Order: sequence, then C-alpha cells, then structure tokens
Amino acid sequence: MELGALRSRGVSEAIAEAVPTLARTSESESFASLYERTFPRVYAYVASVLRDRAAAEDVTSQAFERAYRRRRTYRPGRGSREAWLFGIARNAALDELRRRKRRGVLEGDPEDLTAPSPADYAELAVRRETVRAALETLEDRERELVTLKFMGGLSNAEIARVLGLSESNAGTKLHRTITKLREACHDRA
Amino acid sequence: MTEPENTTTIQAELRALDEALESGTVTSSDAVERELQELALALRAEGPEPSPDFDAELRARVQDGFPRERRLPRPSRPRLPQLRLPPLPLLGAVASVLVAIAVVVSLNVGSEDGPAGVQNAVREAPAAPSGAAGKLATPERGTASRPAPLDASPSPSIAPAPPTGGRGFAPGERERRIERSASLTLAAPGDRLDRVADGIVRLTDRYDGFVLRSSLSTGDEGTTGGDFELRVPAERLQPAIAELSRLADVRARTQSGDDVTPQFVSAQERLQGARAERRSLLRRLERAPNDAAAESIRRRLDLNAGEIRGLRGQVRDLRTRTDYAKVTVTLQAKDGNGGASSPDPGNGLGGAVDDALGSLSDSVEIAIRLLGVILPLGLLTGGLALGARSVRRRRREAALG
Repeated sequence: MELGALRSRGVSEAIAEAVPTLARTSESESFASLYERTFPRVYAYVASVLRDRAAAEDVTSQAFERAYRRRRTYRPGRGSREAWLFGIARNAALDELRRRKRRGVLEGDPEDLTAPSPADYAELAVRRETVRAALETLEDRERELVTLKFMGGLSNAEIARVLGLSESNAGTKLHRTITKLREACHDRA
Repeated sequence: MTEPENTTTIQAELRALDEALESGTVTSSDAVERELQELALALRAEGPEPSPDFDAELRARVQDGFPRERRLPRPSRPRLPQLRLPPLPLLGAVASVLVAIAVVVSLNVGSEDGPAGVQNAVREAPAAPSGAAGKLATPERGTASRPAPLDASPSPSIAPAPPTGGRGFAPGERERRIERSASLTLAAPGDRLDRVADGIVRLTDRYDGFVLRSSLSTGDEGTTGGDFELRVPAERLQPAIAELSRLADVRARTQSGDDVTPQFVSAQERLQGARAERRSLLRRLERAPNDAAAESIRRRLDLNAGEIRGLRGQVRDLRTRTDYAKVTVTLQAKDGNGGASSPDPGNGLGGAVDDALGSLSDSVEIAIRLLGVILPLGLLTGGLALGARSVRRRRREAALG
C-alpha cells in the first residue's frame, strides 16, 4: 500500500515537474514550426516593402522576436497565426519605413533584390523585367497588397486581417491591383 | 457589364489566381485568367530570398528562444535607450483604481459609519443677544468649570463651514468658538435598559463630563425608557458619541454645531472696554477736585462694576457652552413596551442576519461608489487608448504614402 502510494506520488511529481518543461518545449516547437513555414515569405514581404536587404534582415529578425515574446497573446479566434505574424511584421516594417522617411534616407532607386541568374532563359528574364517595371508603377499600398498575396502567400481573408479590411474589400482591391498590373505589363510589352 | 456579372468575374479571376498559386502552374482555359495566373506565378518568383547565413542565424535564435543578450547589433544606427513603460490601458486602470480608492476613502472620512438618520450640521449662530448666554445650566461638578484647551479643534465630521461673508461671524478670528450638540436615540431590550442607563452615566464620568438631567420611565414591566441630558468636553465629543452608540442599537443620531465666535469676541471686547473705563474712572477719582465730583465718579464706578460682572458672566457662559458639548440621549425599549421577555435581536440568529444584511448593504454602497468613479475613468482611459492606437496606426499607414 505504502509502496503503491510512493510510486503514485513519484509519478505525480515526475509529471508535475515535466509538464512545464513539456509545455515550454511544445510552445518552442510550435513557434519553430511557424518559423519554418513563414520565414522566407515574411522576409520576402518585408524586403519588398523596405527594398533594402540589410534593413529587411533587421526587421524580419525583430518581427520574429516580437512574435516570440508575444506568442501568448495570439488568439486563434482573431485569425490564423500567419496573419498574426504578418501583422507584427507589417507594423515593424512600417515603423522602419517611417524612421527612414524621417531620416530622409529613403532610397531613390529600388535595390535589385533578385537579379536574374545567368541560367535564366532570355525570355524569362525579359518577362521578369517587365513584371518588375510594372510593379514600379504601383502605389505603395497596392504593392503591399501584391506582396502580401504573392510573396507572403496569404489568403484573402488573412490579407484582410493584416490590413484591417473586410475580406470582400481585400479581394476587390486585390483584383483591381492585379488588373492594373496586368495592364502595366501590356503597356511595357 | 452589370454588377453581378462583374462580381462573378472578379470572383472567378481571384479563384484562378489562388489555383495557380496553389498548383504552381497555369490551369485555366480562359485567356484572361491564364494571363493572370502567369502574372501571379511571375510575381511569386519575384519574391526576394533571404541569405542562408541570415536564415541560419535567425533559426538558431528561434531555437534558443531569442535570448535577450543576443540582440542584433546595429552600430550604424545608435538608438537612445528606450524607457519600458507599461501599456497605457494598464496605467489607466491602475490610475482609476487609485483615484477610486482615494474618493471612497475621502467619502468615508467625511461621513459617519452610523446608521441611517445620522445627521451632522454646523451652522452659524445668528447675532444673538448677549443675554442668550445665560441659558446654560451651571455644571454640577467641579470639572465643568475647567477650561478646554484653546486649540480644541472640532472633529472632522462636524468641522465648521468656512466663513462665507464678512458680517456677523467674526471673520478675522482664527480660534472659533463652536457650541456643539448631539442627540442620540438608543434602543435596547426592556430588560437591558437599566444596564444601558448605567452605562451612559459611567461613560459620561469617564469622559470627564456630567449628567445635567436624567429621567427613567418605569412601568409594570420594568423600565420602559429614559432621557438624559449630558455635558461632555467638546474635544471628546466624537469618541463619546461613538462609545454611546455601542451601548445599544442607534435609532437616530443628530449632531450640530453653532458658531458663537461673534458673541464671544463681542463680549470680550466689551469687557476690555469696561475695564479700561474702570481704570480711567479710578484715575479721575484720584484727581477729583471736590466731594461732589468724587461721588459722581463713584456712582459711575458702581455702574461700571455691574457691567463688568455681567460681561464676565457672559464670557464665562460662552466659554462653558463651547468647552462642553450638549448631548441628549433618548433611551427606548426595543419592543416598544419594555417587556423583559422580548428577544434580543442584537444577539443570536436575528442579530447575525441583521449584521449580514448591513454588511451587504455597505458593500453594495462601496461598490456603487467605486463604480461611479471607475466607470467614467475607465471609459476615458479606454477612449484615450483607442485614440492613441488609432493615431499610431494612422502614422504607420502614412509611411506607405
């Protein structure tokens, strides 16, 4: 009887000790998996907004760190984890953009973030150049929308969540922007 | 193109975009949709890719749980150390609670914790005629003539109201003379009335006061009630009232204060004048040229002596009235007939229920007061927080031009 009680107590204590560790590990793993899923997309989005590799690295790092520190504030009822993370990244990117504007160091010409590799086919290179040039015709907000959709890989609902719009409004704006982009491509072609 | 068709087209094209992004290929047969799908894929390919070094570094930090000491250095952009303040809503909430507590405490300090019917009042006495001072009965014991300290300040609950005008209340006088009075109606079971009456007398003695008048009504079933008129040193009125209130259930309580400073000052000034006149008359008597003049001065001196006596009496009376507070206690039998067999609701289950209801009522009262402060402050704080958030958001959005 006593042995049983001791065994039982030992198991309980072991579980009690292990639970916080497990919870921490689980949280950490969960965040690590979020990182794995989203890191390239978050970076692509931030880099497209800032158009500066070094600043994009800083801001992406900040965004993930903020998200990690505030991971307990995430509420599933208020959107996906991706939307939540992109919201944090967006705030960090816009803050950085504002700082840069205040300092008057906003770049004149956008940095060539992804130069076509020599292996690219000529036609593909031309097409990419056309798309890039068309992107330049967009306003900042339209460019952000395109970036969230095609580089961030967010759904329209997630974009709506990040930008504080309704889903239908986000869809309409996206359609308008992509149509404008398509026409710009036609004009360039 | 009509509106529904337009909406349908938009939805179809958006769907085509999603399909292309999902499959990574152009899937639509519609020319426009195909073009859009190609554009979507091209845009996705435009996405900047992070450097492997940066990925490795950030991944390691994620795995380490972002240790605080390993912040990415940014030497080219030195920043001022940021003060980490708690969020505005939290600060607002804390401030609201502190203000609410301060208000409730101040409200409680300003009011007695007695039952309903308790009244406090301080009023200016009208410019009373000097003869009014003689109404106070002479104390029966030696202690009555002991002067109270000059700085015997009134208790907070019946602090005199500040002067509101310049006439009739001696505005320049710093030491106010307040004539205080209190009235208390106590109720106790018939079989305890005698004990309560004894308690009143003992308590008065203990407070260096005296019983000016007392009467106990008796019937077939024992004591049925009583009346007491007490005098208690004014500076000890509050503790005395509090202790009297504990002798039995308080049915009613009234306190008032009359500012008699003008009369006091006036009587003192007239006394000084009369004394000065006496000195002058005595000097004139010494220099009287003949007996007739001396006799005339003596007559005036006699009159002056009478005046001085009267004024001295007025000053003494006023001092006594303000040094001692008048306390009237009415003692009642709780069941109305003084029956010894009546239950004592102050004890037992009934008393406990009464106490519980009283506590509940007090709690509700405090909660309502707290709510009255917290609610508007909370709304204000919430509004400010929302406003600040909106401004911050607008500033951020402004970065996009």
